[in-house]
Amino acid sequence: MNIQAYIESGILEEYVLGAVSSQEKQEVECLSKIYPEIKTELLKLEQAMEKYALEHQTPPPAHLKGKIFAQMKFGPISGQVDTDEDQGATVVPIGTGTTTTRPLWASLAVAASVLLAVLLGWAFYQMSAYRAQNESLTAEVESIRSEAEYQQTLANLYRSTDYKVVRMAGVERSPESHVVAFWNQATNEVLLDVQKLPAPPSNRQYQLWSIVNGTPVDMGVLDQEFEGRILKMKATQPGTAAFAITLEQEGGSPNPTLEQMYVIGNV
Amino acid sequence: MAPPKLKYTEDELVASLKRNEQAAFEYLYDHYSGALYNVICRIVRDNEKAEDVMQEAFLKIWRSISSYNPDKGRLFTWMLNIARNTSIDAVRAEGRKPDFDDIQENLDRADQHASYQPSPSTMDLKSLVEKLKPERKILVDLVYFQGYTQEEVSEQLRIPLGTVKSRIRTALQDLKNYFSV
Repeated sequence: MNIQAYIESGILEEYVLGAVSSQEKQEVECLSKIYPEIKTELLKLEQAMEKYALEHQTPPPAHLKGKIFAQMKFGPISGQVDTDEDQGATVVPIGTGTTTTRPLWASLAVAASVLLAVLLGWAFYQMSAYRAQNESLTAEVESIRSEAEYQQTLANLYRSTDYKVVRMAGVERSPESHVVAFWNQATNEVLLDVQKLPAPPSNRQYQLWSIVNGTPVDMGVLDQEFEGRILKMKATQPGTAAFAITLEQEGGSPNPTLEQMYVIGNV
Repeated sequence: MAPPKLKYTEDELVASLKRNEQAAFEYLYDHYSGALYNVICRIVRDNEKAEDVMQEAFLKIWRSISSYNPDKGRLFTWMLNIARNTSIDAVRAEGRKPDFDDIQENLDRADQHASYQPSPSTMDLKSLVEKLKPERKILVDLVYFQGYTQEEVSEQLRIPLGTVKSRIRTALQDLKNYFSV
Protein backbone atom coordinates (compact mmCIF):
# COMPACT_ATOMS: atom_id res chain seq x y z
CA MET A 1 0.00 0.00 0.00
CA ASN A 2 1.26 3.44 -0.90
CA ILE A 3 0.94 5.19 2.44
CA GLN A 4 2.53 8.42 1.23
CA ALA A 5 0.00 8.77 -1.58
CA TYR A 6 -2.80 8.19 0.90
CA ILE A 7 -1.44 10.84 3.25
CA GLU A 8 -1.09 13.28 0.37
CA SER A 9 -4.57 12.64 -0.98
CA GLY A 10 -5.99 15.27 1.38
CA ILE A 11 -8.39 12.88 3.09
CA LEU A 12 -6.70 13.30 6.48
CA GLU A 13 -7.21 17.06 6.32
CA GLU A 14 -10.86 16.53 5.45
CA TYR A 15 -11.16 14.09 8.34
CA VAL A 16 -9.73 16.57 10.83
CA LEU A 17 -12.11 19.26 9.54
CA GLY A 18 -15.06 16.93 10.07
CA ALA A 19 -15.82 17.03 6.34
CA VAL A 20 -15.89 13.30 5.56
CA SER A 21 -18.69 10.78 5.19
CA SER A 22 -19.12 8.15 7.87
CA GLN A 23 -17.62 5.57 5.49
CA GLU A 24 -14.51 7.66 4.95
CA LYS A 25 -14.35 8.32 8.68
CA GLN A 26 -14.23 4.62 9.40
CA GLU A 27 -11.62 4.06 6.70
CA VAL A 28 -9.32 6.75 8.12
CA GLU A 29 -9.72 5.41 11.65
CA CYS A 30 -8.95 1.86 10.53
CA LEU A 31 -5.92 2.79 8.49
CA SER A 32 -4.52 5.09 11.15
CA LYS A 33 -4.67 2.22 13.58
CA ILE A 34 -2.66 0.04 11.22
CA TYR A 35 -0.13 2.46 9.80
CA PRO A 36 1.85 4.54 12.29
CA GLU A 37 2.76 7.08 9.59
CA ILE A 38 -0.90 7.88 9.02
CA LYS A 39 -1.55 8.07 12.74
CA THR A 40 1.35 10.49 13.25
CA GLU A 41 0.21 12.75 10.44
CA LEU A 42 -3.36 12.70 11.72
CA LEU A 43 -2.24 13.55 15.24
CA LYS A 44 -0.13 16.48 14.02
CA LEU A 45 -3.03 17.85 12.00
CA GLU A 46 -5.41 17.46 14.92
CA GLN A 47 -3.02 19.21 17.28
CA ALA A 48 -2.51 22.05 14.81
CA MET A 49 -6.23 22.55 14.37
CA GLU A 50 -6.75 22.36 18.11
CA LYS A 51 -4.22 25.12 18.66
CA TYR A 52 -5.76 27.09 15.84
CA ALA A 53 -9.20 26.78 17.44
CA LEU A 54 -7.82 27.75 20.84
CA GLU A 55 -6.50 30.95 19.29
CA HIS A 56 -10.08 31.84 18.42
CA GLN A 57 -11.97 32.11 21.67
CA THR A 58 -15.28 33.72 22.51
CA PRO A 59 -15.76 33.37 26.25
CA PRO A 60 -19.31 32.30 27.07
CA PRO A 61 -21.24 34.54 29.51
CA ALA A 62 -19.98 34.09 33.07
CA HIS A 63 -23.29 32.87 34.46
CA LEU A 64 -23.50 29.97 32.02
CA LYS A 65 -20.95 27.75 33.75
CA GLY A 66 -22.95 27.60 37.00
CA LYS A 67 -26.15 26.95 35.08
CA ILE A 68 -24.58 24.01 33.23
CA PHE A 69 -22.80 22.50 36.23
CA ALA A 70 -25.99 22.67 38.29
CA GLN A 71 -27.42 20.07 35.93
CA MET A 72 -24.52 17.65 36.23
CA LYS A 73 -24.00 14.96 38.83
CA PHE A 74 -20.52 13.79 39.60
CA GLY A 75 -18.96 10.80 41.25
CA PRO A 76 -18.87 7.14 40.35
CA ILE A 77 -22.63 6.63 40.34
CA SER A 78 -24.16 7.75 37.13
CA GLY A 79 -27.33 9.73 37.61
CA GLN A 80 -28.46 9.24 34.08
CA VAL A 81 -31.50 7.17 33.41
CA ASP A 82 -32.30 5.87 30.02
CA THR A 83 -35.96 5.99 29.37
CA ASP A 84 -37.18 3.55 26.86
CA GLU A 85 -40.34 4.45 25.13
CA ASP A 86 -43.03 1.87 25.46
CA GLN A 87 -43.60 -0.03 22.34
CA GLY A 88 -47.25 0.51 21.56
CA ALA A 89 -48.93 -2.71 20.57
CA THR A 90 -50.79 -2.45 17.34
CA VAL A 91 -54.04 -4.29 16.97
CA VAL A 92 -54.65 -5.72 13.57
CA PRO A 93 -58.32 -6.21 12.81
CA ILE A 94 -59.22 -9.68 11.68
CA GLY A 95 -60.88 -9.78 8.29
CA THR A 96 -64.60 -10.27 8.41
CA GLY A 97 -65.66 -13.65 7.09
CA THR A 98 -67.94 -13.80 4.11
CA THR A 99 -71.03 -15.91 4.38
CA THR A 100 -72.66 -17.31 1.31
CA THR A 101 -75.99 -18.99 1.17
CA ARG A 102 -76.34 -22.14 -0.90
CA PRO A 103 -79.51 -22.71 -2.94
CA LEU A 104 -81.33 -26.07 -2.98
CA TRP A 105 -79.52 -29.32 -2.10
CA ALA A 106 -80.24 -30.60 -5.62
CA SER A 107 -78.27 -27.97 -7.36
CA LEU A 108 -75.55 -28.63 -4.77
CA ALA A 109 -75.40 -32.28 -5.76
CA VAL A 110 -75.14 -31.42 -9.46
CA ALA A 111 -72.39 -29.02 -8.77
CA ALA A 112 -70.63 -31.63 -6.63
CA SER A 113 -70.72 -34.33 -9.28
CA VAL A 114 -69.46 -31.94 -11.94
CA LEU A 115 -66.69 -30.97 -9.60
CA LEU A 116 -65.88 -34.62 -8.92
CA ALA A 117 -65.58 -35.38 -12.63
CA VAL A 118 -63.30 -32.45 -13.17
CA LEU A 119 -61.22 -33.42 -10.16
CA LEU A 120 -60.78 -36.98 -11.37
CA GLY A 121 -59.46 -35.84 -14.72
CA TRP A 122 -57.27 -33.30 -13.07
CA ALA A 123 -55.92 -35.84 -10.56
CA PHE A 124 -54.93 -38.19 -13.32
CA TYR A 125 -53.09 -35.41 -15.11
CA GLN A 126 -51.40 -34.36 -11.85
CA MET A 127 -49.92 -37.81 -11.18
CA SER A 128 -47.10 -37.19 -13.62
CA ALA A 129 -46.65 -33.65 -12.39
CA TYR A 130 -46.24 -34.89 -8.80
CA ARG A 131 -43.46 -37.16 -9.84
CA ALA A 132 -41.51 -34.24 -11.27
CA GLN A 133 -42.32 -32.12 -8.27
CA ASN A 134 -41.08 -34.85 -5.99
CA GLU A 135 -37.69 -34.70 -7.64
CA SER A 136 -37.48 -30.93 -7.35
CA LEU A 137 -38.53 -31.18 -3.68
CA THR A 138 -35.72 -33.62 -3.04
CA ALA A 139 -33.30 -31.15 -4.55
CA GLU A 140 -34.80 -28.37 -2.47
CA VAL A 141 -34.48 -30.37 0.74
CA GLU A 142 -30.87 -31.03 -0.18
CA SER A 143 -30.18 -27.31 -0.62
CA ILE A 144 -31.98 -26.51 2.63
CA ARG A 145 -29.88 -29.14 4.36
CA SER A 146 -26.63 -27.64 3.08
CA GLU A 147 -27.87 -24.17 4.02
CA ALA A 148 -28.65 -25.48 7.51
CA GLU A 149 -25.20 -27.00 7.76
CA TYR A 150 -23.69 -23.66 6.75
CA GLN A 151 -25.78 -21.83 9.34
CA GLN A 152 -24.87 -24.41 11.99
CA THR A 153 -21.17 -24.06 11.22
CA LEU A 154 -21.51 -20.28 11.43
CA ALA A 155 -23.35 -20.50 14.76
CA ASN A 156 -20.64 -22.78 16.13
CA LEU A 157 -17.93 -20.35 15.01
CA TYR A 158 -19.66 -17.40 16.66
CA ARG A 159 -20.22 -19.39 19.86
CA SER A 160 -16.75 -20.84 20.02
CA THR A 161 -14.35 -19.07 22.33
CA ASP A 162 -11.44 -20.33 20.23
CA TYR A 163 -12.27 -18.02 17.36
CA LYS A 164 -11.88 -14.27 17.36
CA VAL A 165 -14.56 -12.66 15.20
CA VAL A 166 -13.24 -9.82 13.06
CA ARG A 167 -15.79 -7.84 11.09
CA MET A 168 -14.56 -6.25 7.88
CA ALA A 169 -16.74 -3.35 6.82
CA GLY A 170 -17.03 -1.93 3.31
CA VAL A 171 -14.98 1.14 2.52
CA GLU A 172 -16.16 4.18 0.56
CA ARG A 173 -15.99 2.43 -2.82
CA SER A 174 -18.27 -0.38 -1.64
CA PRO A 175 -20.15 0.54 1.53
CA GLU A 176 -22.52 -2.41 1.24
CA SER A 177 -19.75 -4.98 1.46
CA HIS A 178 -19.32 -6.97 4.61
CA VAL A 179 -17.10 -9.97 5.37
CA VAL A 180 -16.44 -11.70 8.67
CA ALA A 181 -13.15 -13.40 9.49
CA PHE A 182 -12.85 -16.05 12.19
CA TRP A 183 -9.34 -16.24 13.58
CA ASN A 184 -8.36 -19.14 15.79
CA GLN A 185 -5.71 -17.44 17.86
CA ALA A 186 -4.36 -20.77 19.12
CA THR A 187 -3.78 -22.37 15.72
CA ASN A 188 -3.90 -19.18 13.60
CA GLU A 189 -6.41 -20.84 11.29
CA VAL A 190 -8.54 -18.24 9.50
CA LEU A 191 -12.03 -18.84 8.10
CA LEU A 192 -14.09 -16.36 6.10
CA ASP A 193 -17.79 -15.78 5.78
CA VAL A 194 -18.62 -13.43 2.91
CA GLN A 195 -21.89 -11.74 3.75
CA LYS A 196 -21.75 -9.35 0.83
CA LEU A 197 -19.21 -8.59 -1.87
CA PRO A 198 -19.89 -7.49 -5.45
CA ALA A 199 -19.41 -10.26 -8.05
CA PRO A 200 -15.82 -9.94 -9.29
CA PRO A 201 -15.31 -9.00 -12.95
CA SER A 202 -13.86 -11.75 -15.18
CA ASN A 203 -10.11 -12.39 -14.77
CA ARG A 204 -10.23 -10.81 -11.30
CA GLN A 205 -10.32 -12.45 -7.91
CA TYR A 206 -10.63 -11.25 -4.33
CA GLN A 207 -7.59 -11.70 -2.10
CA LEU A 208 -7.39 -11.64 1.69
CA TRP A 209 -4.57 -9.85 3.52
CA SER A 210 -3.61 -9.75 7.15
CA ILE A 211 -1.74 -6.73 8.46
CA VAL A 212 1.13 -7.82 10.69
CA ASN A 213 3.46 -5.16 12.11
CA GLY A 214 2.18 -2.69 9.55
CA THR A 215 2.92 -4.99 6.61
CA PRO A 216 0.26 -6.74 4.52
CA VAL A 217 0.68 -10.52 4.36
CA ASP A 218 -0.95 -12.65 1.66
CA MET A 219 -3.69 -14.87 3.08
CA GLY A 220 -4.71 -16.44 -0.22
CA VAL A 221 -7.39 -15.72 -2.80
CA LEU A 222 -11.10 -16.22 -2.23
CA ASP A 223 -12.76 -19.05 -4.14
CA GLN A 224 -14.90 -17.53 -6.92
CA GLU A 225 -17.91 -19.31 -5.37
CA PHE A 226 -17.71 -17.42 -2.11
CA GLU A 227 -21.34 -16.93 -1.18
CA GLY A 228 -23.21 -19.03 1.37
CA ARG A 229 -20.20 -21.03 2.52
CA ILE A 230 -17.28 -20.89 4.89
CA LEU A 231 -13.95 -20.36 3.16
CA LYS A 232 -10.76 -21.69 4.68
CA MET A 233 -7.85 -19.30 4.13
CA LYS A 234 -4.11 -19.53 4.77
CA ALA A 235 -2.98 -19.43 8.39
CA THR A 236 -2.07 -16.01 9.72
CA GLN A 237 0.60 -14.97 12.23
CA PRO A 238 0.33 -13.96 15.88
CA GLY A 239 0.02 -10.21 16.27
CA THR A 240 -2.25 -9.72 13.29
CA ALA A 241 -3.72 -6.19 13.63
CA ALA A 242 -6.28 -6.21 10.84
CA PHE A 243 -7.69 -8.08 7.87
CA ALA A 244 -8.55 -6.56 4.50
CA ILE A 245 -9.76 -7.76 1.11
CA THR A 246 -8.68 -6.30 -2.22
CA LEU A 247 -9.62 -7.16 -5.80
CA GLU A 248 -6.59 -8.53 -7.65
CA GLN A 249 -5.73 -10.36 -10.86
CA GLU A 250 -6.91 -13.96 -11.02
CA GLY A 251 -4.66 -16.07 -8.83
CA GLY A 252 -3.72 -13.15 -6.58
CA SER A 253 -0.92 -10.60 -6.38
CA PRO A 254 2.25 -10.44 -4.27
CA ASN A 255 1.24 -6.99 -2.92
CA PRO A 256 -2.22 -5.55 -2.32
CA THR A 257 -3.64 -2.83 -4.57
CA LEU A 258 -4.92 -0.25 -2.07
CA GLU A 259 -7.17 1.46 -4.63
CA GLN A 260 -8.99 -1.85 -5.02
CA MET A 261 -9.66 -2.40 -1.33
CA TYR A 262 -13.25 -3.47 -0.61
CA VAL A 263 -13.40 -4.23 3.09
CA ILE A 264 -11.16 -3.76 6.11
CA GLY A 265 -11.53 -4.56 9.80
CA ASN A 266 -9.33 -4.19 12.84
CA VAL A 267 -8.78 -7.10 15.19
CA MET B 1 -13.94 16.69 46.33
CA ALA B 2 -10.43 16.49 44.94
CA PRO B 3 -8.53 19.76 44.89
CA PRO B 4 -8.68 21.26 41.41
CA LYS B 5 -5.69 20.39 39.31
CA LEU B 6 -3.94 23.14 37.47
CA LYS B 7 -2.57 21.03 34.71
CA TYR B 8 -3.58 17.71 33.22
CA THR B 9 -1.95 15.73 30.46
CA GLU B 10 -4.47 14.66 27.86
CA ASP B 11 -4.40 11.06 29.15
CA GLU B 12 -4.91 12.13 32.76
CA LEU B 13 -7.71 14.43 31.77
CA VAL B 14 -9.51 11.74 29.79
CA ALA B 15 -9.12 9.23 32.63
CA SER B 16 -10.49 11.70 35.19
CA LEU B 17 -13.38 12.63 32.90
CA LYS B 18 -14.25 9.00 32.43
CA ARG B 19 -14.31 8.66 36.24
CA ASN B 20 -16.85 11.53 36.20
CA GLU B 21 -14.75 13.81 38.40
CA GLN B 22 -16.07 17.32 38.81
CA ALA B 23 -12.60 18.93 38.88
CA ALA B 24 -11.84 17.44 35.46
CA PHE B 25 -15.05 18.75 33.94
CA GLU B 26 -14.38 22.18 35.42
CA TYR B 27 -10.91 22.13 33.90
CA LEU B 28 -12.44 21.09 30.59
CA TYR B 29 -14.94 23.93 30.73
CA ASP B 30 -12.41 26.53 31.79
CA HIS B 31 -9.97 25.60 29.04
CA TYR B 32 -12.17 24.75 26.11
CA SER B 33 -15.52 26.49 26.47
CA GLY B 34 -14.17 29.65 24.81
CA ALA B 35 -13.09 27.80 21.68
CA LEU B 36 -16.30 25.76 21.57
CA TYR B 37 -18.48 28.81 22.20
CA ASN B 38 -16.73 30.63 19.39
CA VAL B 39 -17.73 27.89 16.96
CA ILE B 40 -21.27 27.77 18.31
CA CYS B 41 -21.70 31.55 17.95
CA ARG B 42 -20.45 31.46 14.38
CA ILE B 43 -23.03 28.86 13.41
CA VAL B 44 -25.98 29.87 15.56
CA ARG B 45 -25.53 33.66 15.41
CA ASP B 46 -27.99 34.45 18.15
CA ASN B 47 -26.64 35.06 21.62
CA GLU B 48 -29.53 33.59 23.53
CA LYS B 49 -29.67 30.54 21.31
CA ALA B 50 -25.89 30.15 21.52
CA GLU B 51 -26.10 29.85 25.30
CA ASP B 52 -28.70 27.09 24.99
CA VAL B 53 -26.58 25.26 22.44
CA MET B 54 -23.45 25.63 24.58
CA GLN B 55 -25.33 24.12 27.48
CA GLU B 56 -26.71 21.27 25.39
CA ALA B 57 -23.32 20.53 23.84
CA PHE B 58 -21.47 20.51 27.16
CA LEU B 59 -24.07 18.25 28.77
CA LYS B 60 -23.74 15.94 25.75
CA ILE B 61 -19.98 15.86 26.26
CA TRP B 62 -20.51 14.98 29.91
CA ARG B 63 -23.10 12.31 29.19
CA SER B 64 -21.24 10.62 26.37
CA ILE B 65 -17.65 10.84 27.63
CA SER B 66 -17.71 7.08 28.20
CA SER B 67 -18.08 6.58 24.46
CA TYR B 68 -15.08 8.76 23.62
CA ASN B 69 -12.27 6.57 22.31
CA PRO B 70 -8.80 8.19 22.49
CA ASP B 71 -7.53 5.77 19.83
CA LYS B 72 -9.76 7.47 17.30
CA GLY B 73 -8.53 11.00 17.85
CA ARG B 74 -7.92 13.81 20.25
CA LEU B 75 -10.45 14.88 22.86
CA PHE B 76 -10.77 18.36 21.45
CA THR B 77 -11.58 17.10 17.95
CA TRP B 78 -14.31 14.95 19.46
CA MET B 79 -15.73 17.82 21.52
CA LEU B 80 -15.62 20.22 18.61
CA ASN B 81 -17.58 17.76 16.50
CA ILE B 82 -20.25 17.59 19.20
CA ALA B 83 -20.43 21.38 19.49
CA ARG B 84 -20.57 21.82 15.72
CA ASN B 85 -23.21 19.14 15.19
CA THR B 86 -25.37 20.41 18.04
CA SER B 87 -25.20 23.91 16.56
CA ILE B 88 -26.04 22.73 13.06
CA ASP B 89 -28.97 20.71 14.43
CA ALA B 90 -30.25 23.76 16.31
CA VAL B 91 -30.05 25.90 13.19
CA ARG B 92 -31.77 23.22 11.12
CA ALA B 93 -34.52 22.88 13.73
CA GLU B 94 -35.31 26.49 13.04
CA GLY B 95 -35.59 25.61 9.40
CA ARG B 96 -32.87 27.92 8.23
CA LYS B 97 -29.36 27.45 7.09
CA PRO B 98 -26.89 30.25 7.65
CA ASP B 99 -26.64 31.98 4.31
CA PHE B 100 -23.45 32.83 2.61
CA ASP B 101 -24.38 36.37 1.61
CA ASP B 102 -23.00 37.82 4.77
CA ILE B 103 -19.99 35.60 5.25
CA GLN B 104 -17.64 38.52 5.33
CA GLU B 105 -19.79 40.48 7.74
CA ASN B 106 -20.15 37.37 9.85
CA LEU B 107 -16.44 36.72 9.93
CA ASP B 108 -15.72 40.34 10.82
CA ARG B 109 -18.20 40.15 13.63
CA ALA B 110 -16.82 36.86 14.89
CA ASP B 111 -13.33 38.28 14.90
CA GLN B 112 -14.44 41.33 16.81
CA HIS B 113 -16.03 39.20 19.45
CA ALA B 114 -13.20 36.77 19.62
CA SER B 115 -10.71 37.76 22.21
CA TYR B 116 -7.16 36.87 21.65
CA GLN B 117 -5.83 34.82 24.54
CA PRO B 118 -2.33 33.61 23.93
CA SER B 119 -0.98 31.25 26.54
CA PRO B 120 2.66 31.75 27.54
CA SER B 121 3.81 28.78 25.47
CA THR B 122 2.15 30.14 22.36
CA MET B 123 2.98 33.79 22.85
CA ASP B 124 4.82 33.90 19.56
CA LEU B 125 1.72 32.82 17.64
CA LYS B 126 0.28 36.28 17.43
CA SER B 127 1.02 36.45 13.77
CA LEU B 128 -0.48 33.07 13.09
CA VAL B 129 -3.71 34.34 11.71
CA GLU B 130 -1.83 36.60 9.36
CA LYS B 131 0.36 33.66 8.36
CA LEU B 132 -2.60 32.03 6.70
CA LYS B 133 -3.47 33.69 3.46
CA PRO B 134 -6.86 35.36 3.87
CA GLU B 135 -8.46 33.46 1.00
CA ARG B 136 -7.38 30.21 2.63
CA LYS B 137 -8.32 31.26 6.14
CA ILE B 138 -11.90 32.00 5.09
CA LEU B 139 -12.25 28.52 3.58
CA VAL B 140 -10.77 26.78 6.62
CA ASP B 141 -13.02 28.75 8.95
CA LEU B 142 -16.15 28.00 6.94
CA VAL B 143 -15.51 24.28 7.02
CA TYR B 144 -13.86 23.90 10.43
CA PHE B 145 -15.77 26.44 12.49
CA GLN B 146 -19.07 26.58 10.64
CA GLY B 147 -19.48 23.03 9.44
CA TYR B 148 -20.03 23.75 5.74
CA THR B 149 -19.11 20.99 3.34
CA GLN B 150 -16.41 21.75 0.81
CA GLU B 151 -19.02 21.31 -1.91
CA GLU B 152 -21.24 24.01 -0.36
CA VAL B 153 -18.30 26.37 -0.04
CA SER B 154 -17.37 25.75 -3.66
CA GLU B 155 -20.91 26.37 -4.91
CA GLN B 156 -21.63 29.44 -2.84
CA LEU B 157 -18.32 31.20 -3.32
CA ARG B 158 -18.13 30.08 -6.96
CA ILE B 159 -14.69 28.61 -6.53
CA PRO B 160 -13.97 25.27 -8.24
CA LEU B 161 -14.16 22.36 -5.81
CA GLY B 162 -10.60 21.30 -6.64
CA THR B 163 -9.34 24.75 -5.73
CA VAL B 164 -11.29 24.74 -2.46
CA LYS B 165 -9.83 21.38 -1.54
CA SER B 166 -6.25 22.25 -2.42
CA ARG B 167 -6.39 25.61 -0.63
CA ILE B 168 -7.73 23.98 2.50
CA ARG B 169 -5.12 21.27 2.35
CA THR B 170 -2.33 23.82 1.92
CA ALA B 171 -3.69 25.86 4.81
CA LEU B 172 -3.76 22.87 7.12
CA GLN B 173 -0.26 21.86 6.11
CA ASP B 174 0.88 25.43 6.87
CA LEU B 175 -0.75 25.26 10.27
CA LYS B 176 0.75 21.84 10.94
CA ASN B 177 4.24 22.98 10.05
CA TYR B 178 3.80 26.14 12.00
CA PHE B 179 2.67 24.41 15.17
CA SER B 180 5.03 21.48 15.04
CA VAL B 181 8.10 23.74 15.09
